[in-house]
Formats: sequence, C-alpha cells, structure tokens
Amino acid sequence: MKNKTYKRKPGDFELRILADGRLVMVAPDESLLQIAKVLQPNNEKLSHQMKRGQLCPTHNR
Amino acid sequence: MDRTAYRQAGQRAKHARNALRNCRLCPRNCGVDRTAGHLGYCRLDDSNRCFREMLYCGEETGLNPSHQIYFAGCNLACEFCTVAEWNHCPQAAKKLNTEQLKLKIDQRKRQGAKTLNLLGGEPAVNLHGILELLAQLDCDTKVVWNSNMYYNGIVNDLTAGLVDVYLPDFKCGNADCAEKMLGAADYVEVVKQNILKAHRQGEIIVRHLLMPGHSDCCLKPILAWLAKEMPDVKLSLRADYVPPATAVASPPLYLEEEQRQAAVELAEDAGLNVIL
Repeated sequence: MKNKTYKRKPGDFELRILADGRLVMVAPDESLLQIAKVLQPNNEKLSHQMKRGQLCPTHNR
Repeated sequence: MDRTAYRQAGQRAKHARNALRNCRLCPRNCGVDRTAGHLGYCRLDDSNRCFREMLYCGEETGLNPSHQIYFAGCNLACEFCTVAEWNHCPQAAKKLNTEQLKLKIDQRKRQGAKTLNLLGGEPAVNLHGILELLAQLDCDTKVVWNSNMYYNGIVNDLTAGLVDVYLPDFKCGNADCAEKMLGAADYVEVVKQNILKAHRQGEIIVRHLLMPGHSDCCLKPILAWLAKEMPDVKLSLRADYVPPATAVASPPLYLEEEQRQAAVELAEDAGLNVIL
C-alpha cells in the first residue's frame, strides 16, 4: 500500500470505520443514505448522531 | 417566493449574468470575465454545474423532506469540507440543464419535498443559473438558501424576496480561525452583515458547525453576537464535524457528545433558541 494519504476525487465516496466502532459516511448521496437506513433502521436523525458504535452520515461544507 | 420578486427573476438572472463580465459577486473581487471563460477563485466560468440532487430528511425541523441541489464551486477553501473535490474541480460536474432540473424538482415535490434547498459548494457563485432556474419554477416553491453567506451586496439584492428560508453557515467566530481554516480573514465581518440583512428579509436559521477546540474562539463569540443582534433567531448546532484526513489548521478529532451538550448549554444560557 502506498504511504500517501488518499484524496477523494469527484464521484468518490468515503466511508470511515473509527476505532470505537463508529461507521462514518462522509457526505453520502441518496443511495448511501438508503444503505444507512437499512443498517440502522431505528435512527431517524442519523446526521446528528455521534454516539459510540452508531452509524453517522455527515455533511460539513 | 414573493410574487413581485418572482416576476423579476428572469430579469435578475440577466443582471447576474452581466455581472460575471467583471465578477465581484463575492469579496474575492476577482474581476475576471467569467463569460469569456476565465475562472475566478471559485474555479467557475459562466456555466453552472450540479453534482448531486437528492431528497434528504436530515435538515432542520420544518424543512424536511428537503430537495437538496448541490452546485459545484465555492469561494471559500474550508479544509474540512466534505465535498471539497467538487469545488476543486467543478468542471467534473454536469452543466446545469434548467429544463431537466425543473422536471426533477416537480418529481421531488410529488415525492414529498417541502423545500427546495440550494447548496453546494456555494450557491452565490452560481447565482445567475439559480435565478434562471427559479424563474421557471412555481411561485409557491419554498426556497432555502443554504449558503456560507460570504458574498457581496449584489447577491442580497438579486435574491431578495426569492428566498423563503435563509440557512447561513456561520463557521468561525474570529478572523484568525477564518483565515487559517477557510482562507478568508474577512469572513466574520462579511457574514455578520449578510446574516443581518437575511434576518430582515425573511425566515432564518443560523447554523454553526461545532468543532473540537473551537469553543472559546469561535462558538462563544458567535453566540454572544447572535444574542445581542438577533436573540429570537433559531440556532442549529451541528455536531457532525468530520476531521479532514490530513488536518493542518482544522481539528484532527471528532466532536464528542459531551462537547455537543456543553455547546447547547452555552447557547441556551445565552438565551438563544436552539433547534434540531
């Protein structure tokens, strides 16, 4: 594996698995949000949640 | 949209397009001729480009479901931007086709969209295309201006009456942080003026993205200013900061729940109306 940090290109999506078990979707599109709902159907406001072990789609612009 | 403003939207679009000949839409004041294919700081010529549209239910209460339309190109250089790749290379996005987008907007309305959410990137640097689009929509479309608010007065003038809800992103509370993280030392002063104008023009929800380690320097000054200037404002404290993979000026850590709670307490102690 190359040592250089990967930079997103237009059209790429980024998923991160944090050490504490959180799965972070960075700026997900509608398809990824559908996947998030399937993975965590009881979480209505996913984007505001940052609790341990939860899935967190996020947008910062 | 206000009916008088709506009737003027087409004319305003022409005015906005003419302004691109010596583009000073934002405080970068590039002065380039975007109609001749020259690129400004936003890396845009006179074409508008969209890289995503979607129905989203994670916006502030009252706006959902929201039809988000993402425009490529931005006049800030936020290190932590989660869609920065589209701002670095807006030409990778499709050119705006207002006819097709209008059909999509109608479809999203039928799917339940309550609001049309213009974001990016930054909508202000895509102003002429947005105005051309709004001129073709139904007047009863509820328009959300989801912006960094870093722009000159011409943008306020040309959007007045066309925006139903302003959703300004108030990112930094001081010039030093703004210069380091956004690349704009004058950001705070410019944004304050535009938020005040937006507050006079329509409904407004001020957003602030909470960042670890920026409570004293950014959060507290913003809360103090809002409490003084617009104590009735709705405030949305966003807890979904994502540290950039290679953070230089931005915090390298995620926000913890305790930090979010402390921020909400600070805002409520300042008498502000914190909403979800």
